[in-house]
Amino acid sequence: MIEFKLPDIGEGTAEGEIVKWLVSIGDAVKEHQAIVEVMTDKATVEVPAPADGTITELLVGEGDTVPVGDVIFRLDNGGGAPAQASSPEPAAVPSAPTAVAAQPEPSGGKVLAVPSARRVARELSVDLGTVAGSGRNGVIRRADVEAAATGGAVAQSSHSVVAPTTAQAQRIPFRGVRRKIAEAMVRSSQTAVHFTIVEEVDVTDLVRVRQKAKAIGAEQGIKVTFMPFIMKAVANGLMKFPMLNGHLDEQAEEIVLPGTVNLGIATDTPNGLIVPVISQVESKGLLQLAAELGDLSERTRAGRVRPEELRGSTFSITNAGNIGGTIATPIINFPDIAILGVHRIVKRPGVVDTPEGEVIEVRQYMNFSCSVDHRLADGADAARFVAYLRQILEEPALLSL
Amino acid sequence: MAILTLLQAVNDALHTKMRDDERVTVFGEDVGPKGGVFLATEGLTREFGKGRCFDTPLSEDGIVGAAVGMAVNGLLPVCEIQFQDFIFPAFDQIVSEAAKLRYRSGGQYTAPMVIRTPYGGGIRGGLYHSQSGEAYFAHTPGLKVVIPSTPYDAKGLLIAAIEDPDPVLFLEPKALYRSLKGEVPEGSYTVDLSTVRTAREGSDVTVFCYGAMVPVCEKAAATAAEGGIETHVVDLRTLLPLDEEAVLDAAKRTGRVVVVHEAPRFCGYGAEISALIAENAIEYMEAPVRRVTGFDTPFPNTLEHHYMPDERRVLDAIEGVASF
Amino acid sequence: MGDAPDLSDEQFVELLRNMIMIRSLDGRMLKLQRAGRVGFVGTATGLEASLVGAAAPLLPKDWMWSGLREGGAAITRGLPLFEYVAQMYCNSNDSAKGRQMCNHFQHKGSNYPSWSSVIGTQVTHGVGAAYASARRGEDVVHSIHFGDGATSSNGFHSGLNLAGVWKAPCVFVCIDNGWAISVSSAEQTAAESYADKAQAYGMPGVTVDGNDVLAVYAEMQTAVERARTGGGPSLVVLKTYRMLGHSSSDDPSKYRDDAEVQSWAERDPLKRYEAFLIERGLIDSSECAAQEKAIVAEIDEVIHEQEAAPPFPLRSLVEDVYSEVPRHLRVQFNQFLEVAERRGDATRGDGAFPL
Repeated sequence: MIEFKLPDIGEGTAEGEIVKWLVSIGDAVKEHQAIVEVMTDKATVEVPAPADGTITELLVGEGDTVPVGDVIFRLDNGGGAPAQASSPEPAAVPSAPTAVAAQPEPSGGKVLAVPSARRVARELSVDLGTVAGSGRNGVIRRADVEAAATGGAVAQSSHSVVAPTTAQAQRIPFRGVRRKIAEAMVRSSQTAVHFTIVEEVDVTDLVRVRQKAKAIGAEQGIKVTFMPFIMKAVANGLMKFPMLNGHLDEQAEEIVLPGTVNLGIATDTPNGLIVPVISQVESKGLLQLAAELGDLSERTRAGRVRPEELRGSTFSITNAGNIGGTIATPIINFPDIAILGVHRIVKRPGVVDTPEGEVIEVRQYMNFSCSVDHRLADGADAARFVAYLRQILEEPALLSL
Repeated sequence: MAILTLLQAVNDALHTKMRDDERVTVFGEDVGPKGGVFLATEGLTREFGKGRCFDTPLSEDGIVGAAVGMAVNGLLPVCEIQFQDFIFPAFDQIVSEAAKLRYRSGGQYTAPMVIRTPYGGGIRGGLYHSQSGEAYFAHTPGLKVVIPSTPYDAKGLLIAAIEDPDPVLFLEPKALYRSLKGEVPEGSYTVDLSTVRTAREGSDVTVFCYGAMVPVCEKAAATAAEGGIETHVVDLRTLLPLDEEAVLDAAKRTGRVVVVHEAPRFCGYGAEISALIAENAIEYMEAPVRRVTGFDTPFPNTLEHHYMPDERRVLDAIEGVASF
Repeated sequence: MGDAPDLSDEQFVELLRNMIMIRSLDGRMLKLQRAGRVGFVGTATGLEASLVGAAAPLLPKDWMWSGLREGGAAITRGLPLFEYVAQMYCNSNDSAKGRQMCNHFQHKGSNYPSWSSVIGTQVTHGVGAAYASARRGEDVVHSIHFGDGATSSNGFHSGLNLAGVWKAPCVFVCIDNGWAISVSSAEQTAAESYADKAQAYGMPGVTVDGNDVLAVYAEMQTAVERARTGGGPSLVVLKTYRMLGHSSSDDPSKYRDDAEVQSWAERDPLKRYEAFLIERGLIDSSECAAQEKAIVAEIDEVIHEQEAAPPFPLRSLVEDVYSEVPRHLRVQFNQFLEVAERRGDATRGDGAFPL
């Protein structure tokens, strides 16, 4: 069956008027036989049959104006299913290899940033050297700059902004990084119901152990601070108290407890606070943690941390308490369940049990301030958690449990 | 090795090829006994006779049309249009015929031919002896557009053009005809079409140029170096088909690009370089691509020295992109 | 009819067969166009004597440069009917790879070069090619065809002038069919005749009754011999009439008189020649009908073969621009393929270029 469409008879005609049918339904016709007279704005022409056959349908009437491409009659040429009188159906192209122009090598050491990223970096006062690029060839996009500006903005109240030392009045524009941090703070405090518990930990033994570990680490070129011990203790604690390790998925209306501990370590950098993440802390040894921490901190300060290293934390640790204060109320890193603040080590007189009875000694203490979201966890859990931390860190051998 | 001017290098190329290949036929207005108005074809009629180098009536359309016919029927015509400003009656033959013959005939018919013509300003020739029309022709698929800037390249590129199986428009920068001298080897050699030449190495700013602008850019680069800016100067040589990879590499090398051409700015060749870089290397750009060009006016006579990009303007652009 | 040239009986009848072939082909192609099966037809009805008579004296080694209506003449010199129809279909059997619009024939084997749609550009080409033949000492003649309209073009003036100066071995054949689309010959030039223009370029010019195939043959043969023996170029103007419109897109009733068409119909070249041959006893009255039937059957067979041409390789989009496909075109094509695949366009053809 041929469905005959009105052709473009004269280089760009758009329509034609049916002047006169020269055949009737049921007529047998030969190829090239004149079937109908059609008038266009160029000429009146006879349109011939495309093949031998029988006319089965005349779809338009004399006097009708028909657009080019409309079917005007049907011709049964014994060919079965309706087919075009024109060229055959195109076939699908075989899959082409994606052999586009070979991608150039990323340039070594040079910061690639799209022009718009540079503009935004200027506006937000972001040092491009500290931003990881997510675009083609590692180019820094505007989104990367903006992300870096807000990156893990878990500034605590104890992380003080140095007050101006001059007596002159100042008006500082409330925008850029400052504003991003402000927005993050508001968000956290307006969602989580902050409950903070503070524990005091006798770290005199830990100090001694750490000294020894520091020597061993030095042989391997690894710098060992207190943080790996704290991280290990926290990870062990979170395995015991998993209800503190995770976040709220508000959309799914679920509290997500991943079961593995990825610790975000809040780090102060020339560009502000950035929180890189060390993953699966529960399965790593102390020296390994020390090595990873050292590497991560250095790269974070140099602005070479990768975007994936800034994501995925299940719990955060911040030791801005090193600077000052004995107790703090850290703001949770939205949308986590909890956060642990670590304070500086101070010497205080303490009561020690000896075989001879209780004595007063000079002991070293470190405070931990733990904030939890009281919507998602109970105060009792937080208390048990910090109690556990104290237990482990006061007796460092217990870290291997 | 001989020291030749760019013009002598052209003449040398023609002598060399005509000796090598008897199909090479040179013709145009005044190219015969007179040797051409610039003496580019000096001595050819004397050596090879009127059968191989001859004058034609004043008919650019006829010159190029006949060249197409000769090329189709087995000769290698190297015709001359006396000034590029006079090429327009032949535009039809170049664009509609020579450039499209291979494609339209499914490869059955081809036109291996060269059209030589002096182009560009610098001789106080006014509107009709100074034009740089390379953009009209670079927009013509099927044609090749070649512009030498040194005597060595002039000979090597012209020989390559004559040997090329496709039609080539060979634009000779008349400002450099006699002012530039250089070493030119004897005998036959080619410089590949569709390759660029690095005229000067640098790491701070990349300048793309061709023709008479190359020495201007080299001077500007030398001055910039005194101020601590190292400029990478690239002579494009073949505008069509362009060595795009080399252009992008040179652009990425510094991320700061200047394009220099005598021709008017709007829709000039610099726009193509700019777009090419924007599409393929924007992430490497530290500054926008700057163009230093002729004005968007007909070519003036008395103020020619202001019209044509000079060392000052090029240097200003180099410093501008360097400090963006 | 004019004085009959010295031809064999077979040659006389061959001329008739060729004329019938051109007329039948024209008719069939027009029907295909009206049915939407080919896109465009440049008509040749009425010009049969001019086309056949001008082509016949040429030797196989001679070249014929052409314009719109010489396709039928090319068939008489060896362009296969199959390739002619393939070109009309612009399908993958087309030797021009479907790049040109319909009616743009070419045939390397019989020295019938590709022509563009630009009027008059072929004239200088033919002159340059004639120069090349002469340079090599070949006694090859280049016959350069164009219409009355083309006599106003740049190519006509440049070409005739160059040919005169170079004494190029060519024959300029102007098929004056009275009309350049809707512009009559009277409006095309103020010269008394097109043949007069030859004087300006230093060559002989002659006007011939273009509807008398033998007169055309005779004049053409003289001009060809002149060129072949070093006598230089001539202009032969064949006065005939374009019976139909300029092309399938043109309705001539808008600008011409029916009476004029009628008067020319009475001088129909086929009828005249048929009468001559019958009078000479070379054919009988049923010959024309029989010839026509046979030729039409042959044409129809070729048409049906063409309907089943294989699909085009998509790569032909970027091939033959230069002798090699340059890198930038390979990149362009590969990118085009990527987009086509992403958009799910069903396309024909092969895969990407290696870079």
